[in-house]
Amino acid sequence: MRLIIAVVGSLLLAPALRATVLVPAEFGEIVSGSQIIVYGRVADVHAEWSDDRRQIDTIVTLEAATYLKGGPGEAVTFRVPGGQIGRYKNVLVGAPEFHTGEEAVLFLKAQGPTVAHVFGLNQGVFRVRMDAHTGSRLVVPPVLMAAGDGAETVIRGAPGRVPLPLDTFAATVRRAMGQARGAR
Amino acid sequence: MKSRAVLLFTLLLVAATTSTATAYLKLGSRVGTRTITLKWSRMPIRYFVADRGAPSVTAQQMQQTVTRAFSTWNAVSTAVTSSEFAGFTTATPRGGDNATVIGFQSRPELDRTLGATSFLVDTTTGDILESDIFFNTAFPWSVASGGEPNRFDLESIALHEIGHLHGLAHSAIGETELRAGGRRVIAAESVMFPIAFSPANIQFRTLRADDIAGISDLYPAASFTRQTGSVSGTVTKNGAGVLGAHVVAFHLRTGKIVGGFSLSADGSFVIAGLEPGPHILRVEPLDDADIESFLDLTLGVDVDFRVKFHERLVAVPSGGGARRIDIKVLPKGG
Repeated sequence: MRLIIAVVGSLLLAPALRATVLVPAEFGEIVSGSQIIVYGRVADVHAEWSDDRRQIDTIVTLEAATYLKGGPGEAVTFRVPGGQIGRYKNVLVGAPEFHTGEEAVLFLKAQGPTVAHVFGLNQGVFRVRMDAHTGSRLVVPPVLMAAGDGAETVIRGAPGRVPLPLDTFAATVRRAMGQARGAR
Repeated sequence: MKSRAVLLFTLLLVAATTSTATAYLKLGSRVGTRTITLKWSRMPIRYFVADRGAPSVTAQQMQQTVTRAFSTWNAVSTAVTSSEFAGFTTATPRGGDNATVIGFQSRPELDRTLGATSFLVDTTTGDILESDIFFNTAFPWSVASGGEPNRFDLESIALHEIGHLHGLAHSAIGETELRAGGRRVIAAESVMFPIAFSPANIQFRTLRADDIAGISDLYPAASFTRQTGSVSGTVTKNGAGVLGAHVVAFHLRTGKIVGGFSLSADGSFVIAGLEPGPHILRVEPLDDADIESFLDLTLGVDVDFRVKFHERLVAVPSGGGARRIDIKVLPKGG
């Protein structure tokens, strides 16, 4: 009986979860592969049917506070797969969800006239949250950046891998951009 | 497989800080303030296969591969699942047709995505209306029995996506390495690990203990509750619950690894589907991964704590739960 309770309990606790199979990028690749890198606040989120009414996408508008790369204007709009219209919700597992008022640093791919999209489905999403103790803005997840050309095992729980303050994160992005330019 | 699992866990034990862990999760989707668990209420799952192939993989080969992958999940003795191939279709795996369609598709906006599963859900009832799986034609695929150089193994990815289709989310049983060209999987003990092995690798055609526990937890056979046990408890830091901590259970005798996450603000966790016997428990932060592949980051996932092993072995009984475990972790800077 305890096991059944445990199993049922874990089902009830299931949060919104993500899933897909990705080819993951190192942070430098995310930086160099994005045409727009922007920090801002989500101003609007609305779902719409695709032209053939086969799937629901969500159009997100971000009020830009700082562009680290690119810069189409005071706001940037991008598309994420999935969304809800009325009683129907389309979930593409792995696609990020956004809510009005959230802050984030976004790495976007924008080619030609099409609406921009997030780099690597969700790999270009770095959420910004307030530190409860200091009130400063922290960026999660922590950055995974190669230190050199050699392979290094990624160590979970590494002491230095913590959410970065927003300014430090921005400096890390700029440094990666500089390294990419230097490599050319 | 056991030796690889033992090696994997030994690496964890040797390193005070480590990157590998386990956990199965169930898929859910937030609707307002509640969460809908994505789970099929009826079996068999009827699926169509798109009648268009991709370079070097025909639609018939896709169908045979997908059928094998479904069969692998259906063969789990402690779970009750079944599937039925309904035929080929001209439809694409895009949704909106009340049919579960699996097939190749070009999705240039989904860069770096080998394949993905989508659901159309009626939020008023929580029913899954349909679920589709697409495989991205931007990548080279193979159905060769031994794999092919520079091509991703379709059966491995299909097995993973069909796990999602059943309602399983990602596992974190895996270890990666980082280099300027990207990240690469070194070892993994779950088909549901979100990062693909390199092309030509066919290791993910076989389910692991974590996958079996997950599918059995979702669709339990009577034997599941009799033959397995569970462990539950809390993870706390400075007296407060830790959300999003990985809790890993390693069977000392069999080497099987199963795990779970603390999924609520009080840090409580439950890991079901454990083989009875002594287990080592370990807690770790998800600080090496794309957290959004596992959990909704807006929930406030905590990654700022050190790896912690529970001081004692945990005896998991058959058909019941071990005594409650409370694990206190320390902040990285503390």
